[in-house]
Amino acid sequence: MTSVRPHLRRSRIIERIAFWAFRIATYIVLAFATYIFLDIGIKGARTVFTTTAPFVNTTFLFDRPQTLYVFEHEGQKMTLGDTDFRAWKETHGEPAVDPTTVAYSAGGIWPCIVGTALLVVGSMVLALFVGISSAIYLSEYSRNGRFIKLVRIAILNLAGVPSIVFGLFGFGLFVIFFGWNVSLLAGWFTLGLMILPAIITASEESLRAVPQGLREGSLALGATKWQTIRKNVLPYALPGILTSSILGIARVAGETAPIMFTAAYAMRDEMPWQVSRASDFVFQGVMALPYHIYVVSSKIPQNEYTERVQYGAAFVFLALVMLIALTSIVLREKSRSRLSW
Amino acid sequence: MPVLAESPPMVPPRTRSLVSTSGAEQAIKAFFGGNALVALLVLALITVFLFREGFGFFGQNLNNLRLYRSAGLEYVDFIRVEAEKHSELTRALNDLRLRQFQKMQIEGVAPEQANASLATFDEFATAFSDTSEPLNGLVSDLSEQASALKEQLFAQAEAGATAGAPPVERDAALAVLRAGTQQYDQAVSGVSTGVDQLLSTAPPLPEAKLQQTFDKWKQRARDYVAQLPAAGEKLRAWSPDTPVPWYRAISAFLFGHDWITASFWQDWYGIRPLLVGSIMVSLVALFFAVPLGVASAVYVSEIASRHEKRIIKPYIEFISAIPSVVLGFFGIAVVGTAVRAISELPMFSWVSFFPISERLNVFTAGLLLALMAVPTIFTLAEDALRNVPRGFKEASYALGANRLQTIARVLVPASLSGIVSAILLGLGRVIGETMVVLLCAGNRIDIPDFTQGLGAFFQPVHTMTGIIAQEMGEVVRGSIHYRALFMVGLVLFTITLLINYFAQKLVARYRMSIG
Repeated sequence: MTSVRPHLRRSRIIERIAFWAFRIATYIVLAFATYIFLDIGIKGARTVFTTTAPFVNTTFLFDRPQTLYVFEHEGQKMTLGDTDFRAWKETHGEPAVDPTTVAYSAGGIWPCIVGTALLVVGSMVLALFVGISSAIYLSEYSRNGRFIKLVRIAILNLAGVPSIVFGLFGFGLFVIFFGWNVSLLAGWFTLGLMILPAIITASEESLRAVPQGLREGSLALGATKWQTIRKNVLPYALPGILTSSILGIARVAGETAPIMFTAAYAMRDEMPWQVSRASDFVFQGVMALPYHIYVVSSKIPQNEYTERVQYGAAFVFLALVMLIALTSIVLREKSRSRLSW
Repeated sequence: MPVLAESPPMVPPRTRSLVSTSGAEQAIKAFFGGNALVALLVLALITVFLFREGFGFFGQNLNNLRLYRSAGLEYVDFIRVEAEKHSELTRALNDLRLRQFQKMQIEGVAPEQANASLATFDEFATAFSDTSEPLNGLVSDLSEQASALKEQLFAQAEAGATAGAPPVERDAALAVLRAGTQQYDQAVSGVSTGVDQLLSTAPPLPEAKLQQTFDKWKQRARDYVAQLPAAGEKLRAWSPDTPVPWYRAISAFLFGHDWITASFWQDWYGIRPLLVGSIMVSLVALFFAVPLGVASAVYVSEIASRHEKRIIKPYIEFISAIPSVVLGFFGIAVVGTAVRAISELPMFSWVSFFPISERLNVFTAGLLLALMAVPTIFTLAEDALRNVPRGFKEASYALGANRLQTIARVLVPASLSGIVSAILLGLGRVIGETMVVLLCAGNRIDIPDFTQGLGAFFQPVHTMTGIIAQEMGEVVRGSIHYRALFMVGLVLFTITLLINYFAQKLVARYRMSIG
């Protein structure tokens, strides 16, 4: 038996150290992210869940944001939301000391959840329609020409445009030039256009993954191009398209900058369906969860009264977005193992 | 032998129905083509609208700068600069006293005794501060006059050349202002005799090292007095009617070091503090994200076991879905406080700029942005590493290299342009990110004090994205401030397009290098 030569042993030790360094670097990233999930998860769960049935804090989820009143009454510290405070005043009269008020910290976040849902649905419908149509053109009809090259460059560059620039653009074009003001419609278009490059790229990839033989077989049987696409390409590509688009939904829901001056209000008393005319529906601004988180984390102080709404809103939002992202990732992993032509 | 019947032609002649469907086919194709155009159209529209809303800025800024000169505000600012230099010297003196006092505390001298021994120094400092009185008085007098004139001129410009506008007695007002030159000369002689006298009777400081600093300060004070008359020359040479060249509007925007809006005196729209803030935050983010992102890409693609890979990869992609506003909130609620708490630990007392005073600063924002950049860098770098042809790796092993050597000498060099383009795209994501910097960078519009070395990275800044998000909601449409924000957006847009362009170039080169 010959022992391992010393220089080989040394390089083996160096290799092992280096591999550990790589491993530690990777786990630092994972640990930092996990810490964020745990911190927001644990502190937020205190707001969102309760120990008694129905185990969910329905006030927080299904109520409107209210101003919180904090004051002392007969040696007891009272913390009441706007509505409760008024009812309390009916029976007790004005409190002896002027109450401290903290904005947004009582009630819940229902209008924000509704607003975000409306924004996401509208912008995704728009982006999916335009995005899938563009992808069909790019993968099925186009030949490599100068025009297509230009379109591809545009898509690549559009993907790198910062979201705040999309916000400025939406403000300039939809809010001011088209005169839509701060509205759902302006938000839909801004968010939809922002997510468009991602949808096009994902859809084109799925379309190209459909084997050429399916198209050729259909064309050979005398089907027209459109019939081929409709019957033999789209049905097979659609699951893939939708799966990758779910990640787009997570991004649309998560963005704040583009809706700051196109669609979001810091506070609005009416719910979106409380409009006088049906046609006003798309021209109203809404409250949105990401914008609400921005408002409650920057415009009101950090203290024991505000922690409830801050962590609660962050928790609900993070949970929603992560659920969407998780769905997408799980579906994709599944389809990867299943799909082989 | 049967004769073969004549077979029907294989290809049927074109029928009408096929011709008519091809019309519909054409329409369908055109429809899809039109949708493909949308991306191109949007990019063009973004450019058009940023220019449309932003370009008027230069004209307005030129007027702004012309008014600054013609109303004499520039003249007053010449004197103001000198007064500010004086107060800076006073601040340095106070800082010196504080350090001497702290030193004495450490040495165990009772506070009263320390104060008593520094009494002569305090007298000196107060006397020095008092020498600036005539300068300060002059500045505040002239400021009022110049402001009044500016308002009148502005009102006149607003009213246009309508007959009803009251004529502005500009010459008379400017004559009053220019009398300031003589007052300035008097003030300067007062200041210089005062300072000279004081310097000759300056008390010594007990600590030798601080005495050295004090001597340096004295030299600074002498230099200051010596250059005071130069400003007088500037005042004499100044004329309110020297035209402001057109390119000043552009250079004042690109190189100006102040972003001051809604001020009573003069608004400045210089992008430099915002640009510096954006760059500093991005540097911190990349400082953390590049090693971590590339290392984890190498780890996952080459070292990790299959089970690890199946968990780590989706998890890092999962991180990219964390909404930026949630990260920003986390920064305010947890990271900022933690960074400050760490800087206060005794084990870091040797770091000159610790403990830090602001919990929201460049470092806090950069740290969180790093977490946003890691998934981008990881995903693309891992892709690049994975796409290196198998043969490269096998050839390396065949030559007797071990795994580390193969990674360091073969795989990483072969995919280097792919990795660099991943880093560039990560940079693009970081520099365009809004919510994290808006919430965590501290939002102070100031170029950090680089004399503190690395301490500059622990000061609050404002960024290009942050300023748009913060101020856009409050500005009047069409005002110069509004247009300035669109110009900042245009600069941001250009920067990200450039970054994207270089990243794509590199990817193309990477594809070529691996064949």
